Amino acid sequence: RLSPRRRRRRGPAAEGSSPRDGGSMRCQVSVLYFARSAELAGLRCETLSVPREITSLQLWEEIVKVHPRLALIRDQVVFAVRQEYVLLGDQLLVLQPGDEVAIIPPISGG
Amino acid sequence: MEENEDVPKDFIKLKSEKLSVDEVSELVVSPYCGAVSLFIGTTRNNFEGKKVIHLEYEAYTSMAETEIRKICRDVRQKWPSVKHIAVHHRLGVVPITEASVIIAVSSPHRAESLEAVMYCINTLKASVPIWKKEIYEDEYSWKENKECFWANSEK
Repeated sequence: RLSPRRRRRRGPAAEGSSPRDGGSMRCQVSVLYFARSAELAGLRCETLSVPREITSLQLWEEIVKVHPRLALIRDQVVFAVRQEYVLLGDQLLVLQPGDEVAIIPPISGG
Repeated sequence: MEENEDVPKDFIKLKSEKLSVDEVSELVVSPYCGAVSLFIGTTRNNFEGKKVIHLEYEAYTSMAETEIRKICRDVRQKWPSVKHIAVHHRLGVVPITEASVIIAVSSPHRAESLEAVMYCINTLKASVPIWKKEIYEDEYSWKENKECFWANSEK
């Protein structure tokens, strides 16, 4: 179980948070949008506050709360966290302030 | 200066200007190599009966360069005799028939450079975060490489 840390910031109370949201520890990450995801989100980058410990699927859900139209491409994207590909799923991410998180639609280089 | 020729080099560039086959070939030429193999990816003027006006490319630049560096490292593990590798990819608007990507590899004998070039383009299409948009007369389409394992294409 997570130790109950001082809840200085707004507690995770309301949102039906799962046990894996790192308690109230959040950090600011840079979210980058590319290709179709940039069109749906309407921007190319922004800073978001997210739980420090979070599964990749939960991180996706945090981002979709901010940009609901992204839900259209949920089945076709992966993340790149600190420039390593991560599938949307149970993988636990431990994020640091300033980390880059990129939404990666299907690629088409070459 | 001669000793520098012995040191294998990777030349990776993402740029919006027109690519040059001469420039990319000259980067990998070496007096120790009897072979330079090249791949040039060019833009077709049609897709499924639709006329393609031009292509547009964008990239997650820093990660794309890192992924291409990984490809070069893998090439050198698989084909240790490969001397120099150059990968130039164009970004932004690419008109029809112009090159989107040029890959050149040099090696003492031809088998390695031929195989390495094929490996480079195939792996680039599977792993490098670059996206292509095809612009038609009335619409556009974000393409998806079949090599991309997270694409949903049914084709």
